[in-house]
Parts: sequence; structure tokens; C-alpha cells
Amino acid sequence: MIKCLNLKKIYPLKAGAGYAALQGVDISVEKGEFISICGPSGCGKSTLLNILGFLDTPSEGRYFFEGNDVSGFDDSKRAFLRRSKVGFVFQSFNLLPKLSVIENAMLPLLYLGKKRKEAMERTKAILDKVGLSAKAENDVMELSGGERQRVGLARALANEPQMLLADEPTGNLDSQNSAQVMDLLFDINRSSKMTIVMVTHDNKLAQMTERIIRIKDGKVEK
Amino acid sequence: MRFSEILRIALLEIKGHKMRSFLSFFSISIGVISIMYTLTLIYSMNFRLKKAVEVAGPGRINVELKKRWEAQSDAEKKEAREALTYADSIAIKKAFPELYMVSPYKDKWVEFSDGYFTDYVSVRGITTQWKKRGWVYKLRGRFINEYDIENAQRVCVVIKEGGWMKKPKWMKFYSYSDPLQNYVKHSELLGKTIKLGNGLYKVIGVLEEPPAEKNPRSFVGVGMWEPKVLVPITTAQKFLSGWGDNAGDAIDGIHVDTGDPATIEKYKRQIEQALKSLHGKNLRFNIKDYREVMKDQMADKRRDMLTVMIIGIIAILSGGIGIMNVSLAAIYSRIKEIGIRRSIGAGRKDIMLQFMTEAMLLGFFGGVAGVIAGFAGIQYLAYKGDQNMAMLSWWMPLAAVAAAVFTGFAASIYPARTAAKLDPIEALRYE
Ligand SMILES: Nc1ncnc2c1ncn2[C@@H]1O[C@H](COP(=O)(O)OP(=O)(O)O)[C@@H](O)[C@H]1O
Ligand SMILES: [Mg+2]
Repeated sequence: MIKCLNLKKIYPLKAGAGYAALQGVDISVEKGEFISICGPSGCGKSTLLNILGFLDTPSEGRYFFEGNDVSGFDDSKRAFLRRSKVGFVFQSFNLLPKLSVIENAMLPLLYLGKKRKEAMERTKAILDKVGLSAKAENDVMELSGGERQRVGLARALANEPQMLLADEPTGNLDSQNSAQVMDLLFDINRSSKMTIVMVTHDNKLAQMTERIIRIKDGKVEK
Repeated sequence: MRFSEILRIALLEIKGHKMRSFLSFFSISIGVISIMYTLTLIYSMNFRLKKAVEVAGPGRINVELKKRWEAQSDAEKKEAREALTYADSIAIKKAFPELYMVSPYKDKWVEFSDGYFTDYVSVRGITTQWKKRGWVYKLRGRFINEYDIENAQRVCVVIKEGGWMKKPKWMKFYSYSDPLQNYVKHSELLGKTIKLGNGLYKVIGVLEEPPAEKNPRSFVGVGMWEPKVLVPITTAQKFLSGWGDNAGDAIDGIHVDTGDPATIEKYKRQIEQALKSLHGKNLRFNIKDYREVMKDQMADKRRDMLTVMIIGIIAILSGGIGIMNVSLAAIYSRIKEIGIRRSIGAGRKDIMLQFMTEAMLLGFFGGVAGVIAGFAGIQYLAYKGDQNMAMLSWWMPLAAVAAAVFTGFAASIYPARTAAKLDPIEALRYE
């Protein structure tokens, strides 16, 4: 599914030569796998996941997605990949506060050019899956943290992505809600053979997945 | 993203910030109102100018005795003793036979009476040349001929106004109605003998004007009013003249049409020369290109128009700046939203389009509000009798709204580009 060769990310700094957040990362993920990327805070997990999710570009190295080298893709090609190939779940949910649950969840379909009615119907089914159909018309600001993250999950799944990327999806949740979100992720992985890459600093959560990639100081730990 | 969705977001955003939206569309509206007003003025003025020249003739020159109050100096006032004469007009015609029309006239204010109806009316003495321009009439009976003029016959021709097929709103409350016209409307004068001043005259013809809608004269307006009773000029001199300046061979003026606007300047000079050689310094007269006369009449309207136009441009510009300011401020309060939208697949184009649509929609609403207000205002002025406002064309509201939308478009290019250029990650991280 994905293969990274010698990925480097260097952030320019105001003084000095720049900060190397990723210092040559090689990873590969097979289709249908549920893996976790684990490591202490600040080690470069989010930087890596952003690159995997076409939100960011590597400074050096190659990133192959479904066999294509996408490391040199321009903004519009990356936007296309984001809306058609991957779903992204954020630690802080990143929902639009002015919109209702269903409107948030169906946004990716609208950016794919789907008609509102069709988008509504497809999104309703997904909200059903994450157990939120009763609150579809609610404002997202009225929801609890766990519910919000499930909206985030529904939104990530709306465009039927090839791969789900989750950056500390339970980082802002209590243990009960965390468990619920984790259950949903496992369920999605199992039932639709969805490839999932989850970033976490929590060893216990990481251990629940099929495979762990440990990162330290911008490098994969052997 | 479908355009309907972009429109929806824009509408929500406008609705979500009512005051902010209202302020930017308010000045757009004012701009649009002034644009409409100016367009209507320009359009009506040009239309009337065209009609006036059409009626008066393309190469029209007016020769008039200079009024006493127009004299420059005391000396001039004293010197200006001699009147313009019928003989002058004959001399001009003889000197320049190629002139299409040389039409002398003499107006008199006299009592009109036919035994039933009595009123003071203005009578114009003319020659057969009068027929040559602005002949829009249907003639019943006959017109004044050479014989009538040579022999100073006591005959007259009455003009009957055409009225309106459908009276326009702005005329409904225009209360003046000419008593003679009211009388002529209801009674047949052709063949009758009437009294003008102290003499009896036979009505040999009635000139029926077409309905006002079809009469180019009705759009000409002020300054073009002409007496509605015509007599041979010689008759007017012989039987209707007063004393002093006005006696003898005196006339009020000569209407000349060279037939071609290109020759106006040339003949203006030559006729002036001819008149000077006939009268020397004793005749003070004006010789005017008719287009200049019309333009003078419209000059103050033009000044109004310019002022309004400038106000309009300023208003619409400040509306545009308002929109730009609002859009820029909106970007800063919406960086996070832009980041979120980008992270789930919105392209730069989507973001750009969203901001531009919002601004153009603001312009559109402001434009429509302005058009409605402007339309109402213009209707009101027209209703109050301002003829300049009578000619509102279908394309004017469209042009005004287009200008407003364009303002929104132009004002949003920079903010929209700024929004679209934001880096998704940095925008997401923004709090
Ligand atoms: N835009 C940036 N500019 C400079 N440094 C950055 C930027 N983004 C992240 N970093 C640095 O890169 C390192 C890795 O960040 P990140 O990938 O967010 O870590 P993690 O998600 O593992 O906590 C951190 O030290 C962070 O300070
Ligand atoms: Mg992180």
C-alpha cells in the first residue's frame, strides 16, 4: 500500500541550519494492515503522518503510494489524493463548529463533487455505523468529546478511503471514550479490510495493533 | 465542490455576519443608485438632443436679435437700434440659394376669439419655409402659400396637439393644459373665421400633431415651445405689429438649416458677414449653432450628473474597499476553518472560489438593493414631472448590478488568493 524510503523533513529555523524532524525514515505498510506509530512526544510522529496523508511534503526521500511516487506532487494533486484516497482523524477533532454533525461528516463528499442529497444519504449510513444517527442534526458544539471524535471518524470514512490515518485519535478522550473509539477502529479494519495507521504515544494502545513502528528522534527504532 | 454548495456556504457566511455584510452592501447600494441615476440622465439627454436635432434639422443655425439685456456695454445698448428684418432673410436666401431652409419668424401675443372662446394666444408669422423642418403633422385644409405671403392675406393655420395614446405616469400630474388646445380639441375650426387682435382671419388649415409618443417634438422639451397659431409673416408685420423695434419690417429671428452639420461653421461666418454688411454696427444679433443651444440648455443637468457620478464612483469604491477589508478580516478569523477544509480535500481553487463567491454575492445583494431603491427614486422623480428621468431602460439595472458584482469580484481577488495560498498544516495549527 505505502512504502517510504529515507524520508527526511527539515523545518527551517530562524537561526541555524534548520531542524530535522525526520532523519531518514523507511517504512512500509501492506493493504489491510492496522499498524501504530509510537514514540515520545516531539519525536516526529505527526510530521510523518502528515506526509503519509498528503498534507505535507518530505524534504528528501521517496514516498510511494499504491506504487506511485507522490513525493513530488504539487498542491492540487495532493488535494486530490486527500479527498479521494485517505481519511484523516485528528487528536483535536478539527470539526467546523458552525455546521451540524451530518454536515461536518459529509464535507469530503461535497469536495468530491457529490450532490448534497447523495452525500446526505451516504453519510447517514456512516453515522449509523459510528452510533450517531440520532444526533445527525445536532450542532457539533453540543456533543461530548467522544461523540465529536466519532464525527471525526465518520468524516474520515465518508469518501470511502483506501487508508485511514489517525493522529492520537484518543489523545483528548477519557478511557471509556477511548475504548469506544478504538473498538470502532478495530471494527472498521476487520469488516472492510481498511488499512489503518494510528499515531500514539501510549504503549498500551499501540500494543493492541498488529504491528508497531517505534520512532525516536526522527528515526525508526530497530 | 459543486457551485450550489459554494453558494450555500457563502450565503451562510453572509447571514452569519449580518451587520458586517450590511455595511459593505450599503455603500455598494449607494453607488449603484447613483450609477442608475447617471445612466438615466445621460441616456435621456442624448435621446432628447438627438430628437431635437432631428426636428430642427441637422445643419440648424438660429439667428436672433440680441436682447437688450444681453448687450455687453452701454454703448452697445444704445447702438443696437436696428431690428432684424424680413428683407434680411430674403437677402440671405438670395446670397446662399443652396441653403436648405431660411425660415424667418415673428411672434405676437394677441387676443384670439371666435365668438365662443376668447383667450390671449401667441401667434407666429412664418413663410412657406417653415414647412421644411419638423413637419410631423397631418394637414387638413391647406397650408399658407406664397400668394398668402406676397399679399399679406388674413389667413391662419392652427396646430392641434396630438395628446398621448397612453399618458405616461410622469405626465399625469403635470397640471398645465393650454386653454386654446382644450378648445381646439373639441371644436372644428377649419373654415371658420376667427378674430386675432383687431382683425378677422380665415382658418385655412389645421395641422394635427401625431400622438406625443410618436412625435419627436414632445421629447425636445423646454426652449422648443412654439406658438400654435401660424399666419403669413407679412400679415403679422402688417396687422399684428406693435411699435418701436417691433414695427415695420422687423422680425424676431431666422431659422436656417444648411442641410449638413459639416457646413454649419462656414455658413455661420458667411451669414454673419452678410448681416453686418447690411446693417453695419447698428444690428446686434446672435448667431448660434443649434446644437450649442441645446447643449447650453442641458449644461446644468450635465453638472448635476457629473456630481452624482463622482459620488457614485466614490461610494462603489468604498463599498469595494469595505468588501476587501471584510474579506481579509474574514480570512484571519477563518484560518482554522480553511485548514480543516484543506485537510479533508478542498483544493486551492475551492477556497478561492468560496471567498470570491461570497464577495460577489455581497456585491450582488447590494446591487439589487440599490437597483430597487434607485428604480423607486427615479420613478418618483419622473412622477414629479422630471422629464429627464422618464427614460429608464431595461439594461440600466443590469449594468448597475453588473458593476456591483464586478466590484465584489475585484475586491475579493487579493483576499481570496491570500486565503488559497495558506499552507494546510500551518492553517490547521492556527488557534
Ligand atoms: N512547522 C514547524 N517548524 C519547526 N519545527 C517544527 C514544526 N512542526 C514540528 N516541528 C518540530 O518537529 C518535531 C516533531 O514534531 P511532531 O511531528 O509534531 O512531533 P510528535 O507528533 O511526535 O509529538 C518537534 O520537535 C517540533 O517542535
Ligand atoms: Mg503529534
